[in-house]
Amino acid sequence: MVKIAKTLLGLAAFALGLLVILYGLSFLFIPKNNTKDAGMEEVIANGIQGEPENSIDVVVVGDSESYFSISPLLIWKDTGYTSYVCGSGRQYLSYSKTLLERAFETQSPKLVILETLCIYRQIPAKTVVMDEVSRYLPILRYHDRWKTMTREDFSPTDGNSYTTPYKGYRLSSAASSADATNYMAYTDKTASIPVLNRLLVEQIQELCEEHGAKLLLLSTPSTVNWNYQRHNGIQQLADELGLEYIDLNTKTQEVPIDWSKDTFDRGDHLNHTGTVKVSQFLAKYLEGTQMFSDRRGDSKYASWNTLLQDYEAEVAKAS
Amino acid sequence: MASYFSPQYLAVLLPATVGLYAITPQRARRVILLLASYAFFWAVSGSLIVYLLFSTLSIHHLGLWLELTARNGKERLALAESDQRKAIRAGIQRQQRGIILLAVVIHIGLLLTLKYSHFFLSNGNALLRFLHMPAILPVPSFLLPIGISFYTLQAVSYLIDVYRGKIQADHNLFRLALFLGFFPQMMEGPICRYEQTAQRLWEAPPMCWNNFLLGGQRILWGIIKKMVVADRLNIFILNVFSDYDQYNGSIIAVAAICYTIQLYMDFSGTIDVALGSAQLFGVALPENFQRPFFSRTISEFWQRWHITLGTWFKDYIFYPVSMSKPMKKLTSKARKRFGPRYGPILTSSVALLCVWLCNGLWHGSAWNYIFFGLYHFALIFAGNLVQPLVLTVTERLHIDRNHIAYRLMQTLRTCVLVCIGELFFRAEGLKNGLKMAWRIVTDWSFSPILKGNLFAYGIDGPDTVLVALFLVFLLVVGIMQERGVKLGETLVSKSWPVRIAVYYAAICFLVIFGAYGIGYIPVDPIYAGF
Amino acid sequence: MEQLLEILEEIRPDLDFANCQDLIDGHHLNSLDIISIVAELEDAFDITVPTVEVIPHNFNSAQNLWAMIQRLQEEG
Repeated sequence: MVKIAKTLLGLAAFALGLLVILYGLSFLFIPKNNTKDAGMEEVIANGIQGEPENSIDVVVVGDSESYFSISPLLIWKDTGYTSYVCGSGRQYLSYSKTLLERAFETQSPKLVILETLCIYRQIPAKTVVMDEVSRYLPILRYHDRWKTMTREDFSPTDGNSYTTPYKGYRLSSAASSADATNYMAYTDKTASIPVLNRLLVEQIQELCEEHGAKLLLLSTPSTVNWNYQRHNGIQQLADELGLEYIDLNTKTQEVPIDWSKDTFDRGDHLNHTGTVKVSQFLAKYLEGTQMFSDRRGDSKYASWNTLLQDYEAEVAKAS
Repeated sequence: MASYFSPQYLAVLLPATVGLYAITPQRARRVILLLASYAFFWAVSGSLIVYLLFSTLSIHHLGLWLELTARNGKERLALAESDQRKAIRAGIQRQQRGIILLAVVIHIGLLLTLKYSHFFLSNGNALLRFLHMPAILPVPSFLLPIGISFYTLQAVSYLIDVYRGKIQADHNLFRLALFLGFFPQMMEGPICRYEQTAQRLWEAPPMCWNNFLLGGQRILWGIIKKMVVADRLNIFILNVFSDYDQYNGSIIAVAAICYTIQLYMDFSGTIDVALGSAQLFGVALPENFQRPFFSRTISEFWQRWHITLGTWFKDYIFYPVSMSKPMKKLTSKARKRFGPRYGPILTSSVALLCVWLCNGLWHGSAWNYIFFGLYHFALIFAGNLVQPLVLTVTERLHIDRNHIAYRLMQTLRTCVLVCIGELFFRAEGLKNGLKMAWRIVTDWSFSPILKGNLFAYGIDGPDTVLVALFLVFLLVVGIMQERGVKLGETLVSKSWPVRIAVYYAAICFLVIFGAYGIGYIPVDPIYAGF
Repeated sequence: MEQLLEILEEIRPDLDFANCQDLIDGHHLNSLDIISIVAELEDAFDITVPTVEVIPHNFNSAQNLWAMIQRLQEEG
């Protein structure tokens, strides 16, 4: 018995020592700011770290559906509310959680929108372990920076500097029509949500509650990725967790997507004309909540107006 | 659970099994091992575990049958008159051979059906079409349980060994089940013999600190080989082999070399994890590699690479074929005709051809594997043919065959030949393999390598330097091992601060230089697919 | 024993059979050599070498080979 205890103690001490070493090394490997050059991953999604403190009212997390259908500058134009899309391609919920945690470090949004396609994406075991562990041991995520390390990496962080001009939105003006014949055909069936993903949604919900933010589940329009089974699955989840759920795929009156024109890749993602419809809907919705105040007159937010002008010029040029 | 490198195995199944094993009394430990083995199989292949259970029951029963036949025969022999004995002996042998034949038909037949029916039937259809007949053969596709190519060979070797009288038939079903299904060997071997592991597994020796360290070290070493090198090379290899017509011949040659390195690192790394895992429980599985790239000839290469497969083919195909009565007759005839040197080459080549066809087919049901087998057959055959000539020539020219330069030349030549073989092995079909080889010959220019274009195809400068340094390290380790240094044991015998420093350094090396996370596609364990 | 060494040296003149103890384990003999040795031995000593006897131990040295030959002759 004593022998077993001694062995276990030895192993525990070994593991502890290892954790300390890896924790120490992590300071070397963590990117010193949020730019690509410094080694940051998913710089557009992480661009929120370059925004002034407590300047964002609404944070969106999600995969490509989110960054192709929600344009924060359009919402700003209609309402004067600030938002940011922390979207990355094929995002896993475990990473959504990480992004949100990072956002809460400098921002205190009143509303968090989770795009729901992530909730159905099966997460490989390795990714979960990586996302969870690298929260405490960032070396696991940034180990590959041994290739590009410079002398600056041995000094403390120099502050985040990078943010995106479109606040996380990615512009596409091309059009390629979708076949919407069976899209959102009604059914009673429910698509099942992986247990782990449900757990992560619950953790995200808790995280939002801790930081005093409301969590909204939002399904943006997509003929390829969305159907009634999935709608039912999320509706059920939302009811069980007491969350608000908006499925724009069912709101054909308020968000009248024209599937022959409003998508650039046959219904997978929306293009800019589709984005305009979704963003206008969201602007109205946000106004309706009466949670936010119009910042358009505030000089601290003047840059948003300039960015909006550039953005509109770019849109005009593209179409 | 996709492999031994998955967190489910390394962080859940293995530690849980070790923990349970350590705290249970001796008699229950074997049960832990068997349960862990079946849990592993279940986690990988689910209900396909019925195939393993079937094989276990089948060899248990057939083994007992063989024994019964022998016992009955002995009783009859004891009672018989001396002039009848010969007939009785022949009768017993006939009966036992019948049982072996049945066993081979069941087990190899099952393997063939699951693994090769697609290949044979679709080639049959192609032939029918060629003959302007309607292609009517139905082409089924079966789900393959994990490790079936490996445990089937173990099952067959057990029965043949019983038949040959090398071992006793095992009455204990559970001991056989553990021998056949022990989880560290399940994915990629090594292919164990009954007398090597069955008894030791059944004894389930107590955990001991020494074995724990040796096993743990070896697992770590295997993970490093796989994650630092094999996974790092993966994207480059994927790129070149899938789109080879985009690349210059020199790039294809580099890719063939990289694939050979990758295959070795992946396979031997997995075997390290397997042997290390078994060692934790005090069980020594047979070694599968013995520094193959130090080989001077292709024939020697196969004595050092995938050793347990090579010896299996040697013991159960090569010698039985070459030493069968008709072949022996052929040998003595050939010796009279061609002399004692060239005579046996003829007969052994027949056996060798059988071995290499089986070897090729064992790897998979595709023409490029068969080509791979025949390629090595041709090399060994040619080696046998010219060997006497080489001996005479070197003798005449007073070349010292043990001189370091001569040996290096031989080793280098062997490595090149192996890399060429692996090109076909990896190619997506024989046609593509031939086209790639053709490109190397016809479209060769050094400029892509010299200009560093290489670095645009999925591997960069730092990657290359890292891999090169690691290979140099491996070379040093290999030379030390060739000289008989047992590095694992040496490390364990050091004082604890030294050991812990080495372990910490190795783990940090793995964490920093492992090719995992964003931007990498880990390679699926290559030999698990065979 | 003398006769055995002669046979062996005829097959592989480059090896020192009298002293080498790891003919198989040291990768000195290949399978072709073994087939040749078996064929020669069967002729010279009037024995039959069954497949079971073809194991590394029996072929690792001339002494072990000699022991095997004597055993097989006795069993005759």
